[in-house]
Amino acid sequence: MRMDDPLLCVRGLKVGFPTADGVVKASNIVDLTIRAGETLALLGETGSGKTVLGMAILRLLQPNTRIEGEILYRGRDLLSLPQEEMQKVRGREIAVVLQNSGTSLNPVLRVGDQIAEAITLHRGLKGAEAEAAAVELLDQVRITDPARMAREYPHRFSGGMRERALIALALACNPSFLIADEPTRGLDAVTKREILNLFSEVNRGRSVLFITHDIEAAASLAARVAVMYAGEIIEIGPVDAVLSSPAHPYTRGLLESLPAKGMRPIPGSAPSLIAPPPGCRFFPRCSCGAGRCEIEHPGLVEVGPGHYARCMLYD
Amino acid sequence: MRAAYLLRRLLYSAVAFGISVTIMFVILRLMPGDYITLYLEGIYVIAPPEVVQAYNHAYGIDRPLIDQYFSYFLGILQGDWGYSLSYSRPVLDVISEKLVWTLVILLPATILSIIAGIAIGAYSGWRRGSKADVALLNGMIFLRAIPSYWLALMILLVFAFYLGLFPLGGYVSLSALDTGIDPLDVLNHAALPIFTLFLFSVTGTYYLMRNSMLMTAGEDYIVTARAKGLDDMTILRRHALKNAMLPMVTRVALQCAGMLTGSIFVETIFSWPGIGMLTFEALQVRDLPLLQGILLMDTLIVIVANIGADMIYPFVDPRVEVGNDARA
Amino acid sequence: MPGRNTALYLSLGVVLAYCGVALSAPVIAPFDPFVISGPPLAPPDATHLLGTNDLSQDIFSRLIWGTRATMVLGFLGAVVSVVMGTAVGIVAGYYGGRVDEAVMRFLDVMMTIPFFPLLLVLTIFFRPGIYVTAVIMGLLGGLGSVRIIRSQVLSLAVADFVVGTKALGARDGYIMARHILPNVLPLVGVKFVTSAQHFMLVGIGLGFLGMGDPNVVDWGQMIERASKNGGIVLGLWWWLIPPGLAVTVISLALAWFAYACEERINPRFQVMRV
Repeated sequence: MRMDDPLLCVRGLKVGFPTADGVVKASNIVDLTIRAGETLALLGETGSGKTVLGMAILRLLQPNTRIEGEILYRGRDLLSLPQEEMQKVRGREIAVVLQNSGTSLNPVLRVGDQIAEAITLHRGLKGAEAEAAAVELLDQVRITDPARMAREYPHRFSGGMRERALIALALACNPSFLIADEPTRGLDAVTKREILNLFSEVNRGRSVLFITHDIEAAASLAARVAVMYAGEIIEIGPVDAVLSSPAHPYTRGLLESLPAKGMRPIPGSAPSLIAPPPGCRFFPRCSCGAGRCEIEHPGLVEVGPGHYARCMLYD
Repeated sequence: MRAAYLLRRLLYSAVAFGISVTIMFVILRLMPGDYITLYLEGIYVIAPPEVVQAYNHAYGIDRPLIDQYFSYFLGILQGDWGYSLSYSRPVLDVISEKLVWTLVILLPATILSIIAGIAIGAYSGWRRGSKADVALLNGMIFLRAIPSYWLALMILLVFAFYLGLFPLGGYVSLSALDTGIDPLDVLNHAALPIFTLFLFSVTGTYYLMRNSMLMTAGEDYIVTARAKGLDDMTILRRHALKNAMLPMVTRVALQCAGMLTGSIFVETIFSWPGIGMLTFEALQVRDLPLLQGILLMDTLIVIVANIGADMIYPFVDPRVEVGNDARA
Repeated sequence: MPGRNTALYLSLGVVLAYCGVALSAPVIAPFDPFVISGPPLAPPDATHLLGTNDLSQDIFSRLIWGTRATMVLGFLGAVVSVVMGTAVGIVAGYYGGRVDEAVMRFLDVMMTIPFFPLLLVLTIFFRPGIYVTAVIMGLLGGLGSVRIIRSQVLSLAVADFVVGTKALGARDGYIMARHILPNVLPLVGVKFVTSAQHFMLVGIGLGFLGMGDPNVVDWGQMIERASKNGGIVLGLWWWLIPPGLAVTVISLALAWFAYACEERINPRFQVMRV
């Protein structure tokens, strides 16, 4: 593998959830690459499929989910790995900071033990050594009095502290790739900034997939950003390019809905993912849609250096 | 802080107990006819008035109601639970004696059913929808629907009567008259009742544990555990089990408390001389004081079990501190 | 899932069959259940499909007639239980505050007294017929369902649509009947079925203990009589087994029905985060 080969390469990923009403197509032909040391932000509203994508990479979705496509990590297709091999990848090579820190830690186990568990599993340290390593990690994420906090239970941690603990847990085994799902959701502005600073500090040199709906957070952390809508990536490119000169109407709408820019929401709502529209999925809400958009499904088209958009305007 | 909570709880339970006693007293006084006459009619058919009067006086029925109530209440607190008509002994004595024998079969059955119920319930819930789960679940629904008296009867018929593997009833063989009570012999007699009680209670534990596990399995921290790279069984053991067992603490305590209901049919069919059988006999001869005492004992057990569960719970769930009534 | 539906329809079919038998007992039973109709303790033959008991009564006819007592005990009891539990639960949950407090305290005390022993004590002295027994069971048993219904009502009472209706000026009674009740009905329905099953078992258990109504043919009494009069030692399986089997089958049917309904109402799918 060459030095600048992508670390992670998602090709043609389709994820479907069978439900009583039909299959929910949460992800539709997603193609994504992330290089070593690069931070890619995955931007989108709730229901856009961004968390599904993150979970799919580590195969953490429900057992009856239908997944097609390839997820190549260092050249190996994760989707075709047997369970035991996948377990070796999880936590060690690729780690995840889950959404909703309030419920992501086991309430009846001490925080230190939960971190030590990962250390014992992947780094081989046992007992007191693992505990010490856990305390050190808590220190690295700037939790005050880490030795005492390690012996506490999660309900004693504040929201911000829990977030730090989850980050510590994810970094316990120094993974090459980190997936962070909304690490700042529900936090107040000050804590949010602290967490984001911490985040960028501890992840220097690491590949990160930063899943968020917070445009500013994405802007401050990421080198590239991908925008998702209704299960598809509709725009992807360098963060400056995408955020200052957005190509896709949806991205433009997103930026305009920011408080700073005037807070104009996009009219309408996201389409049903069981029976999505045949053409462009954004067409029903698009202010510049044409006849083609309704029937033809647009592919990703280059609109600038490394900048792509899925829109008929550029085809 | 803990002491204050404990005190408050005890006080509350004492009040509940007191009210139960009062309710029982009231209900029994509302009975048509008086219970002495009723009992004597069982013996004499038409009770001669002098006998009725003598009994009434001996049992204090001819005193004013309030008087009776207070002496009854005070008596309860002091351990005088009345006098059994059929045994001619203090009620509490009779009950305590028989209670021991009930515990001989109840304790092993309960412990076994808890262990088994938790183990297979947890596995079933964890692997929901699998062949094992579906088979177990249907089996348990089936088992639970069978009335306890019929289950006991069938077990007795099949294992003792037709297959002759175990004795037909009682707690010792006739040989005990000569050789004294042999523990192995008692065990032999206790085997089928224990088995029946076990079958009866394991379904409840299984069902609760399975439900609890179903909810636990969907929690976020389980996903975290998976994301760490742990394997399935380890996650079940170390993360899911402890959380799923939390609601079990209270439920199990309540199950223990419902022992009388479970044991009455089993003991009657297997002729096991415990509280269940005692209740049955008391019903036949209409020994009201004895029945009253049994009901009181059962209420007391329920109260104690509840307090016990409350006390234990904080030790098991780190989120709850003693003093919060925040029970899951 | 095909399995779930067949269970539903099959169990419903069984329940309806039992109801049918109960209703048509005078027509389909070959003999009067109390009348002497042949030699005592006779094994099954062409006239007496299940033989006769110690009083020379036809067991098969008694089995058929016994269905009535079972149905009354189960369904009447369930109706009383559900009506009471729902009414109290809705009122407590809807009004909240002191009404709720009072109800809960009352429940706390009443629930410490175990259901079955209390039932026994009441039965022994009032010696009620099956109708009164069913009502008593319903009242005592209904207490248990109050908590569950109340907790659902609590969450409903603060739901937007209820608050909205209140704001429009609707009266409490109207809201409770029109908006809260329908939402609680699925829960109530399941409770009805499980209560029916429970009361059937308990009611027949009472008969087994000798607390039954002697004027009525009751499967529990049949089993009791059979075991007392040498049913076990003499191996009189045709007397001993059918009543118990009859109870078990209806109990199973109700249990499966309740389970199938429960799975429908409470689909335990896990919420997908996207």
